[in-house]
Amino acid sequence: MSSDDEANDIYYDDDDYGDDFDGQAGSAEDESMSEPDAEGYDVLSPSIDDLPQKKPYDVTYKVRTVQEIMDMQNREVQKIHALLDIPTSTAAILLRHHVWNSEKLQEAYFTDPEQTLLDAGLSPPSSPSPVKRTRSQHTVPFECPICCMDFTKEQVEDLTLTMGCGHRFCRTCWTEYISGKIRDEGESARIQCMGEACKRIVRPELVDELVPGELSKKYHNLLNAAYVADSPSLRWCPHPGCEHVIECHQVPPRMLNQLVPTVKCDCGRFLCFGCGYAGNHRPVLCKIVKMWEKKCADDSETANWLQANTKECTKCQSTIEKNGGCNHMTCKKCKWEFCWVCMGPWSEHGTSWYQCNRFDEKSGIDARDTQAKSRASLERYLHYFTRYANHDQSAKLDAVFYTTTENRMKAMQTQGLSWIETVFMRNAVDTIIAARITLKYSYAMAFYLVRNNDTEIFESNQTDLEMAVENLSHQLETNPEPDILMKMKQDITNLSAYVKKRSDILLDDVLTGYFEGRWKFTVTV
Amino acid sequence: MFGNNNARAQTSTATRRLMKEYRDLTADPLQDTITAGPVSEDNMLEWEALIQGPEGTPYEGGVFAAKLTFPPDYPLNPFTMTFDPPLLHPNIYPNGVVCISILHPPGDDPLRYESASERWSPVQGVRSVLLSVLSMLAEPNVESGADIECCKLYRDNRTEFERQVREQVKTLLGI
Repeated sequence: MSSDDEANDIYYDDDDYGDDFDGQAGSAEDESMSEPDAEGYDVLSPSIDDLPQKKPYDVTYKVRTVQEIMDMQNREVQKIHALLDIPTSTAAILLRHHVWNSEKLQEAYFTDPEQTLLDAGLSPPSSPSPVKRTRSQHTVPFECPICCMDFTKEQVEDLTLTMGCGHRFCRTCWTEYISGKIRDEGESARIQCMGEACKRIVRPELVDELVPGELSKKYHNLLNAAYVADSPSLRWCPHPGCEHVIECHQVPPRMLNQLVPTVKCDCGRFLCFGCGYAGNHRPVLCKIVKMWEKKCADDSETANWLQANTKECTKCQSTIEKNGGCNHMTCKKCKWEFCWVCMGPWSEHGTSWYQCNRFDEKSGIDARDTQAKSRASLERYLHYFTRYANHDQSAKLDAVFYTTTENRMKAMQTQGLSWIETVFMRNAVDTIIAARITLKYSYAMAFYLVRNNDTEIFESNQTDLEMAVENLSHQLETNPEPDILMKMKQDITNLSAYVKKRSDILLDDVLTGYFEGRWKFTVTV
Repeated sequence: MFGNNNARAQTSTATRRLMKEYRDLTADPLQDTITAGPVSEDNMLEWEALIQGPEGTPYEGGVFAAKLTFPPDYPLNPFTMTFDPPLLHPNIYPNGVVCISILHPPGDDPLRYESASERWSPVQGVRSVLLSVLSMLAEPNVESGADIECCKLYRDNRTEFERQVREQVKTLLGI
């Protein structure tokens, strides 16, 4: 119990945050209710918001809009602007160069302001201002070194540009160059002067002045994206079409072996703040879900299969699968004759035709041991993988499930029920899908767990949830007679509640287990 | 996002710039080892260059012809350089295309193998590229090779590599 308390201490010490979070969640709900989607209902509704209480393993977070992200940057910039007494655009470039670490920036600036400015690609304040310098050069006509257009003394002021580093080019070339950087290379904060090996940074004001509106919008989006990428407490919602940013201060990378920071974006979909996974991968840890998906995707298991089901010819190393016949093997390729059982040359087997009497020799025993181990490991993997893939497939069919359910809800409405009375069907589907996703990842977890008493508990929780889900799923698919409709409603509502309960129990057990360090994995996390 | 007008404007920028580069190259030839110029005055986007093999290398004595093809948005994007006939060299593809970092557009290096400053920028030009090619002939870079077989040969059996290059030079010269 003591470690539980400790967990509470860590996660409830910031009361202000909790309040803010609740407010945010409330408004998110209001929004989704006022904007039902095309099918007439909002997507997956069971969520951490719906749980009566925030659990110790849930993280507090806020969903930010792009505007808020811009405001956050502005606040930081204003702070530096006031503190160091430098223009805001200079402050912004300095902050970007120092990855928004304002303490480091201040330290560097107070030690050596000139060097700090130079390193960030800015002109030092002591050098003559760009305006003055350009005036003095206007005594001669100018040829742009890139497009070779000539400019008269009078035109130089209006049609050409230098950023104070002495490299002068015409405005058209600058525009083309900056547009290309933004459009084709997706660069923003690091666009440098065109001069060879010149590190001077192109200022945002200049970009806005030179490139067309649409591109300058893209430029600012890229600047925002860079800000989010640079901040460990921010993460974009990974779902397509969503422009929200999640802000969370509780998940430093070292906490990820104790925490699965699943959060719900305002777009209604889940993501993992820890690894950016576009979905809810609870109960399994970020690192393990990554390992598992990699294992499933790459062909490491093909090699495993080969190892378990084939042997190599001891002479030419051709891979051979024995699909019948006796132990006297003759390699098709090199005609080498050997014994399938002991892998020794057949000639040594003397007169014991079709039977190996060398079975007990050391080399034979070793070979068989490796073979058996590899076979068992393959079987174990396949056991978990089929269950994982099965739930994955079922959860993917949710779109179809929604449509059929909706049709059945309509059918029920013709049988005298009002729409609101049929909503239980949709809720049941939501519950099933969420539970299937939990089950799916629980198999990935089980694959990496070391067998002990805790694992037994985990597996019996898993079995209970599995059974509850299958029961509910079965109940949902049977077409009831009209007269027992109300009974069916009762049954489904009960079963849904049970599935939810089992799901909570499983997640509760696993996630608090992380805090207590109860789970032992076969891999390091 | 750019209309036809802009495409024409780009081509005329490229033409004007290439005219000037051609003038400069003629006025100040590159150590007499390189000559370069447009194939015909009507199309400034196709050039031909003749490069003498650097002294003290197996390429010594040879004169190699290469085609320079400029994109319409030159100098924003680099040109391509193709030896015709192809030349045996670790950094030249078997089809003759030269693979050198200065000819790579700045954006297409996902592995960040080359730093941005090593790659193409609009202030580069025919002269700086051809000078780089000359030093590439003298010092192949097997770390990022184009012709892998040739790289292996260069690394494992330098004598045989040099013999094959000399053989090729002789064939080119018709000896």
